[in-house]
Amino acid sequence: MEPIIKLENVWKIYQLGKTELAALRGLSLEINPGAFVAIMGASGSGKSTLLNIIGCLDFPTKGKVYLKGEDITKMSESQLAQLRGKVLGFVFQEFNLLPNINCLENVMLPMVFQRVPFLERKEKAEKILKMVGLEKRMIHQPAELSGGERQRVAMARAFANNPEVIIADEPTGNLDSTTGKMIMEFLKDFHIKQGKTMIVVTHDPNIANYAEEIINIKDGQITKNHLAAEKVLWKTKENILKSP
Amino acid sequence: MEDQREYFKIALRNIRTRRLRSFLTVLGIIIGVFLIISLLSLSEGLKTTINKQLQAMGGEMIMVMPGGEEDIFTSMMFGGAKLQKQDIEAIKKAKGVDKVLGFSYTGTIARYKDESKQIAMCGYDPWKESLDVLSIFQGWSLAEGRWPSKGNQILIGQYIANEIFSKKIKAGSEMVIKGKKFEVAGILNSLGSKQDDSMAYMDMKVYQNLTGEKQGTAAYAIVKLKEGADENVVKTEIEDSLEKTRKRRAGTDVADFSVITSEKMGEITGTILDIIQVVIIGFASIAIVVGGIGITNSMFTSVRERTKEIGIMKAIGAKNSAILSIFLIEAGIVGIFGGIGGVLLGSILAKVIDYYGQINPTFYFTTTISPWMIVFALVFSFSIGCLAGFFPARAAAKLKPVDALRKYE
Ligand SMILES: Nc1ncnc2c1ncn2[C@@H]1O[C@H](COP(=O)(O)OP(=O)(O)OP(=O)(O)O)[C@@H](O)[C@H]1O
Ligand SMILES: [Mg+2]
Repeated sequence: MEPIIKLENVWKIYQLGKTELAALRGLSLEINPGAFVAIMGASGSGKSTLLNIIGCLDFPTKGKVYLKGEDITKMSESQLAQLRGKVLGFVFQEFNLLPNINCLENVMLPMVFQRVPFLERKEKAEKILKMVGLEKRMIHQPAELSGGERQRVAMARAFANNPEVIIADEPTGNLDSTTGKMIMEFLKDFHIKQGKTMIVVTHDPNIANYAEEIINIKDGQITKNHLAAEKVLWKTKENILKSP
Repeated sequence: MEDQREYFKIALRNIRTRRLRSFLTVLGIIIGVFLIISLLSLSEGLKTTINKQLQAMGGEMIMVMPGGEEDIFTSMMFGGAKLQKQDIEAIKKAKGVDKVLGFSYTGTIARYKDESKQIAMCGYDPWKESLDVLSIFQGWSLAEGRWPSKGNQILIGQYIANEIFSKKIKAGSEMVIKGKKFEVAGILNSLGSKQDDSMAYMDMKVYQNLTGEKQGTAAYAIVKLKEGADENVVKTEIEDSLEKTRKRRAGTDVADFSVITSEKMGEITGTILDIIQVVIIGFASIAIVVGGIGITNSMFTSVRERTKEIGIMKAIGAKNSAILSIFLIEAGIVGIFGGIGGVLLGSILAKVIDYYGQINPTFYFTTTISPWMIVFALVFSFSIGCLAGFFPARAAAKLKPVDALRKYE
């Protein structure tokens, strides 16, 4: 099977005045379609940096990134935007809803950028919001919702264009454990029922439990088995709980 | 197009959430457009008034007026030195001159029945001869009554008779001007300009008695040419003749006068008004450009405030062009709102000026707002908006998604 995401010897080096900071150091990995991957690691280990590169929000300083077999570093800005909108769905820790428009419009927005006709996108957005249990909150502004509700709207927005990969950076980081669990259940559902690829960054082993694969990062490198052949580190649920 | 409509909605939402700041930005444009519209409408109105005036003067006449040719405009609006008796004699002596009518006018209060109103009074010298020349060559005709024959009889214009006083004035009525009783002998048909129609015409002697102006002088002179005489030749003759008397009187205060053919008059005022309009457009454009800088400024803050939103939109698939559109539309809307506001305010001021002119007959300003002015103002303000918004919008579009998202709030 061809991996949906493939990183080859990726470096990300930040220039901080005269000093250089390598957030990713020659990292390689492959993620297969339909996988549920959790990325774990200490704060500052480079998880978000990695996720941003996987999400085509940022480019590596060195190395190659393939999304569905295509080298993203060779793509134009508008091709990348198209790809992000269509193939990827983002869920952020701080929800990141647009504050000036209501929930329904927030969920419709990704479809605007894909030029989905108005009625179709409205219908679809309503359906997804219903799915995440927010049919009563559609015309509310994000500011009027609780954190958990906001994250559900954000999730609905991520699902809007029926993307192949959901990328979530600490999606439960701002939520209590019960609400966080609910969010993870929705993601799992989407993963199982629709076979979508999930990539979730988290600190929380309980959240990582939902994943089928776990990648551990330390100092911008995949730890333990970071041999060229074994970029993805497999773990059973028991193992995670034992090794924090 | 579908997506453009959506961007428009987003832009409108953005403007609404920063209501006060948007309003202040719009205000900058409003002021500029307001200046353009009100000043242009005034100068257009002035053009119309003066053209009417020139038409009323008729062809084949020469005007002698105080002031050099270059300040004709000021002397027409505000008056100036007087023609002395010797000057008028000198004009009469010039070859090709048939008749010389001296005239002066000034604003005054007139009473009719129990009502006192502002009108203008005008004296002609010599009175009888003037009436002949004016009726034969300038098309003066009576709507009512007869030509005056005695010193206490006057002619009044249409506007005085029908508009100024609440009761219409009939020929034969009595009117009091500057405390002196007059009989309205006749009412003139419209002379073509509001200014001329709101005057009471009388013998210069009576006029000068009432106003205290020096007997035998006049503010202006109209020269009727002899049959077949050439306007430009006679003009030179008059100038030479005036020059001679002036030399004789050297040492005393001798004012400069201009001798102008009706054709030349039209040219001069036309040029002057054109210059005025260019200057007005220039200044008002500066005001709009300043407003535009306000838009740029406000858009830059808007981009900064919404950096995170831009990042979010990019993450969910917005292309650079989409972000550019949203911000350009926002700036364009601000511009066009400013344009509409300015046009509205400018039109209101123009109407107020017109209305003031209607109740004050000696206030000669009228305004004209032509459709092209409105179109110009709207297109101009919209373009300024887009232009002003371009750099901030491009800055927004160029933001790297990861940097935009990472922005710390
Ligand atoms: N834009 C940037 N400029 C400079 N340094 C950066 C930038 N972004 C990240 N870094 C650095 O790169 C390293 C990795 O950051 P990253 O955000 O990927 O960490 P993380 O694993 O997501 O941490 P956390 O769990 O706290 O979110 C950190 O040392 C950080 O300071
Ligand atoms: Mg992080």
